[in-house]
Amino acid sequence: MNKLLSTACLALGGTAVFLSVGVTTASADWPTKDVHLVVPYAPGGTTDVLSRRVADLLQDALGANVIVENRPGAGSTVGTGRLARGGRDADHTLLMASPGHTIGAAIYPDLPYDPVEDFVFIQNVIDIPNVMVVPTSSPYQSVEEFIEAAREENMAFSHSGVGSSIHMSGELFKTLTGSNMTAVPFAGSGAALPALLGGDVDVSFENMPTVYSHIQSGDLRALAVTSQERSPYLPDVPTLSEIGVDNLDQFVTTAWFGLIAHNSFPEEGYDAMQAALDEVMEREEFLDFAEQLGAEPGQVEGEAFKQFVIDDLARWQEVAEQAGIRQ
Amino acid sequence: MDNLAEVLQLFLSIDNFIAIALGVVIGVTVGSIPGLTATMAVALALPFTFSMQPVAAILLLVGIYKGGMYGGSITAILIRTPGSPASACTLLDGYPMAQQGHAKKALKTALFSSVIADFISNIALIFFAAYLAKIALNFGAPEFFWLICFSLTIIISLSSGSMVKGLLAAFMGIMLSLVGLDSVFGSQRFTFGNYNLMDSISFIPLLIGLFAIPEIMEFYRKKAMPHLKAKASGVGMTLVELKRCMKSIVRGSLIGVIIGAIPGTGATAAAFISYSEARRRSPNKENFGKGEVEGVAAAEAGNNGVAGATLIPLLSLGIPGDVITAIILGAFMVHGLTPGPIMFQENLSLIYALFLGIMLSSVILLVVGNAAIKYFSLIADIPKSILFPIVLMFCVYGAYAVNNTTFDIWVMLAFGVVGYVFNRTGIPAAPFLIGFILGPMFEDNLRRSLLIGNGDLSIFVRGPITWFFIVITFGSIALALYRFFQSRKEKTGSSPDNQSA
Repeated sequence: MNKLLSTACLALGGTAVFLSVGVTTASADWPTKDVHLVVPYAPGGTTDVLSRRVADLLQDALGANVIVENRPGAGSTVGTGRLARGGRDADHTLLMASPGHTIGAAIYPDLPYDPVEDFVFIQNVIDIPNVMVVPTSSPYQSVEEFIEAAREENMAFSHSGVGSSIHMSGELFKTLTGSNMTAVPFAGSGAALPALLGGDVDVSFENMPTVYSHIQSGDLRALAVTSQERSPYLPDVPTLSEIGVDNLDQFVTTAWFGLIAHNSFPEEGYDAMQAALDEVMEREEFLDFAEQLGAEPGQVEGEAFKQFVIDDLARWQEVAEQAGIRQ
Repeated sequence: MDNLAEVLQLFLSIDNFIAIALGVVIGVTVGSIPGLTATMAVALALPFTFSMQPVAAILLLVGIYKGGMYGGSITAILIRTPGSPASACTLLDGYPMAQQGHAKKALKTALFSSVIADFISNIALIFFAAYLAKIALNFGAPEFFWLICFSLTIIISLSSGSMVKGLLAAFMGIMLSLVGLDSVFGSQRFTFGNYNLMDSISFIPLLIGLFAIPEIMEFYRKKAMPHLKAKASGVGMTLVELKRCMKSIVRGSLIGVIIGAIPGTGATAAAFISYSEARRRSPNKENFGKGEVEGVAAAEAGNNGVAGATLIPLLSLGIPGDVITAIILGAFMVHGLTPGPIMFQENLSLIYALFLGIMLSSVILLVVGNAAIKYFSLIADIPKSILFPIVLMFCVYGAYAVNNTTFDIWVMLAFGVVGYVFNRTGIPAAPFLIGFILGPMFEDNLRRSLLIGNGDLSIFVRGPITWFFIVITFGSIALALYRFFQSRKEKTGSSPDNQSA
């Protein structure tokens, strides 16, 4: 019997070790306990990898444990919904928001939360531009040539899943230029790439880190980037807004990643996070990491970040409506 | 010669050896805990690799991947709870073997075939990467579509006993796989407005429910089971058995290599295809699903054959075929390396050092696996009345751990009931699983092909690869039907076989 008891205790103890984490070493007003960073996606994706890197650096800056929690599901709406419910730890819980936050709100009806009013917007941490790429074998050398051809014949564009920034960028391009384009869905960018490299699809609006090496090796041709400014990684490639034909001057979109919290998040927490993030975003490790992603440190914080999200939401709502994506 | 010196200098570092060994140990441990997958372990280990040397960093992750691939089979064999989706197939024969007192033999078979498959997969990676990568690039949606069609024909060969029940099970699997969001329009299908169902039914809770829970229910239904007098763990695999299984192991490894080299198919499908091929060609066909050594060998060879080969598109093209390789790609990039043709020009020494490490990981897997079996096989000797409550705890934990949601615990319990009904009525679970896994791949690639071809059906016969799979698909169906009617003629009057696969 004793053996049985000890086995059971061991098993339960083992589980407890899995579930419990560390001790707090904080000294300031905030944080007074472990900080939780909710990642509304599964382990391994860009959001997850980025969040773990940021959590690692924040830990030093805040002097407290930062625990990454993956809450994937339904775009990012399951994890975000959990944050919106608040609860006991809401004053120490952050969430890494991304375009999924606004696109999700644009395409899912009856979300159990308000994507703007239910949250405090702390800071945009990183911006990754999308790149309009065609296979090197493609006859199109410029965006203008592509648009011209897309008026005559139907073009297929690959994307990493309905509601991804890659998908929505394609739909936005289609809407603004009036091109004939068909969206071809894949399960993630990894699966979409071979179709693009092999020429099964004509074009894609992929995230920079996915295609950068293929542009360098000459397998893909970058026609344009989707950010406001040219990317320092592809200085010769124009932005869509500078090309400007057919309403393209309105085409500015990036895959943004920023920290948000429940709207009951305390003032001192907000200040402490601002200070910690300022420190983190100047660290060499962070800048190196951003460079590897072909990304740039985020520009906006606080109210400006909130306004950015409001604008992003309005834009995607319009695109979703025009493209008929509504769940 | 300079190169060789550089390669050795990069490789012969104590860090690398520690990284591989640690990786394999973590992988085997995590893989054997239901609900914790190698994917999760690799993702969680990633931040720790940032400060390591690039070769050691990658080898740590590769070690976890390989260890996890094997580790999943341990609990599948011992307690009918697959540690990872890829080991669901191992359970079909592994668990019956354990029940018959051959737990150790099943575990050893799984280990040896895993290591051999891993080795073959590594060889393919090192020598044929460029060639296989080219084939992979020619694999578009229509080619995939036919590959999946061919894979679906294995439902017929796995529906041992009653073909009607097998097809019924497959149909149910396909229907359940429809739950979630439509991949083209994003509209909700059979979610009943429940957000938890939008990402479709979680696979691991389904697996745990389907296999582990009915076993526990069955135990309590019968109350007391006769205790085995002899040690339940039994003896290891004999050389004769290994020789007998060798063909299936090699075939399974090659199937794994090809499937692994094509981005986006995955180890689970490879295991099932390898298993059904082994069954189709085996003289002991009848014994499959009842504790056939060759079944365990084929399944494990299939899923481990994938491990080295998924690195082929990653290293030679920079394309990650699954989530794990996507994370490994991330690890490369953190160290300023970009997998792809350029890396072969600029960092050739590093690649060869990696290859050496990957080869070494097979050997370490053998050592770590052997040590693990020594202790794990003792589980088979624990009386069921003590074991099952602990298993139940792990089931609940495992179902919860995948997405950190309590909803998945309900999913697991619901499929527990489904599995119990399957067991009682003799509906085989394997076709159900295949339907559930391959159903969405079938649909997605069909629709993708139609979108790419702009509705032009000729895309389905666009090249030699499509024709190849068309021929073997129809050949396989014809053969299965011929055998089915043949055996029916022979067995007229005899009752259908009621075992569950």
